[in-house]
Amino acid sequence: MRRACLLCLLGLSSSAACAQDFKLHAWLDGRLVAAPDEPSWTNGGLGKTRFGNGGVDAHFGGAGLVGTAQFTPALLALAEVQFQNTDYPTMSVIEAYLRYRPVSLSRWRWSAQAGAFMPPISLENDAIGWTSPWTLTPSAINSWVGEELRAVGAEGRVEWRGDVDTWEWRSALFRRNDPAGKLLAARGWSLSDLTYGLGSRLREPDAMVRRFGQQPPGRYDPFQNIGNRSGWYANLAWHAPGRGSVSLMRYDNRADPAAHSDSGVFAWHTYFWTLGATADTGPVTWIVQAMDGGTEIEPVDGLQLETHFRSAFLLAGWNRGAWRPTLRFEHFSTRDPRSDAGIAQGEHGNAITAALNWRPCDWLRLTAEVLRIDGVRTQRTEAGLPAASAITQVQLGVRLIY
Amino acid sequence: MRCLLVVASLLLGSAWSSRAAEVTIHLSDGQGHAVNDAVVMLTADAAPATAAVPEPPVTHIIDQRNETFIPYVQVLRPGDKVVFRNSDTTRHHVYSFAAVRAFEFVLRPGESSPELIMDKTGIAAVGCNIHDHMITYLFVSAVPAIATSSHGGDATLGHLAPGHYTAHVWHPQLHPGRPEPTRKVIIASDSDVAHLAFTLSLMPDPRMSMDREHLDY
Repeated sequence: MRRACLLCLLGLSSSAACAQDFKLHAWLDGRLVAAPDEPSWTNGGLGKTRFGNGGVDAHFGGAGLVGTAQFTPALLALAEVQFQNTDYPTMSVIEAYLRYRPVSLSRWRWSAQAGAFMPPISLENDAIGWTSPWTLTPSAINSWVGEELRAVGAEGRVEWRGDVDTWEWRSALFRRNDPAGKLLAARGWSLSDLTYGLGSRLREPDAMVRRFGQQPPGRYDPFQNIGNRSGWYANLAWHAPGRGSVSLMRYDNRADPAAHSDSGVFAWHTYFWTLGATADTGPVTWIVQAMDGGTEIEPVDGLQLETHFRSAFLLAGWNRGAWRPTLRFEHFSTRDPRSDAGIAQGEHGNAITAALNWRPCDWLRLTAEVLRIDGVRTQRTEAGLPAASAITQVQLGVRLIY
Repeated sequence: MRCLLVVASLLLGSAWSSRAAEVTIHLSDGQGHAVNDAVVMLTADAAPATAAVPEPPVTHIIDQRNETFIPYVQVLRPGDKVVFRNSDTTRHHVYSFAAVRAFEFVLRPGESSPELIMDKTGIAAVGCNIHDHMITYLFVSAVPAIATSSHGGDATLGHLAPGHYTAHVWHPQLHPGRPEPTRKVIIASDSDVAHLAFTLSLMPDPRMSMDREHLDY
């Protein structure tokens, strides 16, 4: 008995020592929302905001857990899970990967990671739960990244660390991102902070579902293999602390546009360039990012359905200690290159986001945000809606951070 | 011979310490906030009549608490030693690839590194390979009149001989490529007290202090 107690104590002390390199972080988000009247895309509508159907209501914004384990000084495991109930209740995995980064006693340092991870696109979403610390709603570019893009594969990274700046090259091979682009073609851009993870399903616009003879709601898994191709991305970035950063990236999922799943989800061949930069001028941080690309499927031999997309935004955040007012302007568009001149199918629009962040303490963020979107989308007429729309969403957000 | 050297050293040392002249320096940023952890130095414009007596080597402790190196900047003399102590509950992998000294230590909670001799002058940026936001600077200098600014932004350089000097300031967050902040100062007598003030334009602090929102993995 005594020996058993001693063994238990030894076991506990050993697990306590191991637990020193395990960490758990969490976040919980609540909102008070004055939603635009138009039904949101998250409920099958064509509204571009996360919330819709009018009224002023309290909403659950989401909750997440981030766990890390530093197995050795060079080997890190990270997993991030999230619960959401917008559209339907779901638990999903935002990221889960292993990273190997040995120490380097030269200016060069390399690392590799494998698993499911976000491609290094967003210059906004660097906070817990892949959220933006600048606004509640990320830009159209990064809303789409959170909805449809995820790399399940392996990434290599090489850094050159100078005295005043760092150059970084990242490149990855990945799979399970073949439907990426479907949402931009079917719905167009959105401005929504709803990040989807592995295990969640994206809602398609009801009008599109009905158009193909099916009954809404229509949902699909954006993170699946369709066909047998691997995609890639490469990213070159320059960082200079206190001055800014520049990042250039090429993404190509190399999906087979003729391939489709048993449930009829096509592999959308999606490719784009994105260029972004940040700069600090005194207390003001500037973020600018642009994206230009296309996506296509070939449902029948010789019939290629293509959508070109582009968007750009400029964000300015005024760092005033616990307070941080932020303003963002952006433009977005999609276009079917085969449509006749003068009646081009697609959309174009502008959005302005004004947010006031307040962090009275380390574990709390309060945000007030007004988002205004003006746009024209030709496909809206097929659902009996006017092509032009102008919507405003007002939110008060409370985020608790552990 | 050895006795003669000891006597000469004692005489020079007492001459050095008997001087009461000093320069007090106050450092602030553009908003009027005190700047701590700046290195301030006085260099004589002409070669001094008597060479300063080298001080015996000292061992400095760089602590790691709440994933932060303490202090942010440590001044050392050539030959001084440094020990890295891990007071956190997590491992740290302390390293530097600086030209003055490259090294690495994996430190478990509660563990301290062996003594590391810093015998070359220069600046070594030291990081943690597990927690990229951790950084400290070892400033190794043979300049006799040297100090780091306090939390109030003040530094005092004492025991100065009369003469013409140049005050130099270094801080990790000074903008790279811009001229080093300097100021001329004259010490008229052994009891002179001069006051200098510097307003520094600093870049944001690169250390992310335990921000729950930014996990930095």
